[in-house]
Amino acid sequence: MANLQSTILQLLTGMKFTILIFCLTLLFSLPLGLLVAKGRMSGNRIVSGIIRVYISIMRGTPLMLQLLIVYFGPWYIFKIPLRDLTIGDLDYRFVATIIGFTINYAAYFAEIFRGGIQSMPLGQYEAAQVLGFSKSQTFFRIILPQVIKRVLPPVTNEVITLVKDTSLAQVLAVSEMFIAAKSLASAQVSVVPFVVAGVFYYIMNGIIEIGMNKLELKLRYYS
Amino acid sequence: MNVLEMQNIRKSFGDVSVLRDISLTVKKGEVVAIIGPSGSGKSTLLRCATTLEKIDGGTIAICGRALASNVNGKEIFAGKKDLVEIRSMFGLVFQNFHLFPHFSVRRNITESLIHVRKVPKAEANAVADRLLAKMGLSEKADAYPCQLSGGQQQRVSIARALAINPEILFFDEPTSALDPELTGEILKVIRELAEEKMTMVIVTHEMNFAREVADRVIFMADGVIIEEGPAFDLINNPREERTRAFLAGY
Repeated sequence: MANLQSTILQLLTGMKFTILIFCLTLLFSLPLGLLVAKGRMSGNRIVSGIIRVYISIMRGTPLMLQLLIVYFGPWYIFKIPLRDLTIGDLDYRFVATIIGFTINYAAYFAEIFRGGIQSMPLGQYEAAQVLGFSKSQTFFRIILPQVIKRVLPPVTNEVITLVKDTSLAQVLAVSEMFIAAKSLASAQVSVVPFVVAGVFYYIMNGIIEIGMNKLELKLRYYS
Repeated sequence: MNVLEMQNIRKSFGDVSVLRDISLTVKKGEVVAIIGPSGSGKSTLLRCATTLEKIDGGTIAICGRALASNVNGKEIFAGKKDLVEIRSMFGLVFQNFHLFPHFSVRRNITESLIHVRKVPKAEANAVADRLLAKMGLSEKADAYPCQLSGGQQQRVSIARALAINPEILFFDEPTSALDPELTGEILKVIRELAEEKMTMVIVTHEMNFAREVADRVIFMADGVIIEEGPAFDLINNPREERTRAFLAGY
């Protein structure tokens, strides 16, 4: 019993990192995704072409590989020694994890946003234009609020996937929950730490599901 | 004074020439109805006048402010700043309303007042409430567009277009998306506006209404004006064969 208690405590310590990776990734990748979507729809062919390639690579290669490349890149490209590399007070391993997750998720979010933006009827833009709204006012006041409602279900999908994907941070030895579960499991020669970790992931996603459902209901005041 | 002046307007989409040298002048207080078969270019003409389409040739001025002018054969269009000011002089009512579904009825009307015209919020709300009362929709101020009937939505969109106190109001087939029993309430509103001497250009398929409310009717076909004249004369005694054939369908 004492064993289980310490397992839970150690997993909760790892969970702090899991939640931190999750929150920071969302914080950066959602706005970046919007920007990428805008770039993807840009009339400038060079911009939209570059963004298209970026999205294709992000979606077409494993996230784990992307994390490794972001982490080892500075060494292989610039010969910057990675041991003890920090950015500010942050361990570069952690920074690389956040960068890797952010650029990967931004690509997925961008495509979701693009779908939402392109599904908006032209009439909304025309009504706004005739009323004198500027392009940015039209986007932020008229279009984006309606797009958010439309993209909520696919965004929820990605957010839930992100919770599970945080476990990939283990390849950079970031001490998140999965790595904690692995070392506990091998120390105890038991599958219990994995089961407990699974329950924790499931609880996190349960909370997200409830929250996103609430948000969807809140936006149901119009159709 | 001419509120709207369009001279020698040309517009094509690809190879299809939609407007071929059309001129239209509307005086202050005048109500002009544009009729004609679908594909005749009447909606395009309206869209050119309301900055939604760029013309290929010709000149457009609203209240003397040039939207498009022709200098030595080169089209010059109004810049961003002029556009904002010109757009504050006209209103447009769409066939499909195009209300903002995520805003309440009141906010549909106040949003541009507050954020484009920089009218204080309390003042904007007062404008909205006054217009909604006029449209008989006072009790719907806090409702959302999806909770209204088509006729009510169209009345809100008329109120939205009226909010800036425009010099001229354009209607693009304002009753075409409505059930027949709902068109009456829209026509009544437009009739009241005509009595108040609102300058209006109305693209419509309602011949009786055009005859009754409009001062002048313009019949368009194939991108040109076939015939124009006082409403009653044109609809009751068309001179051109083309007009007669069209009106025979009503």
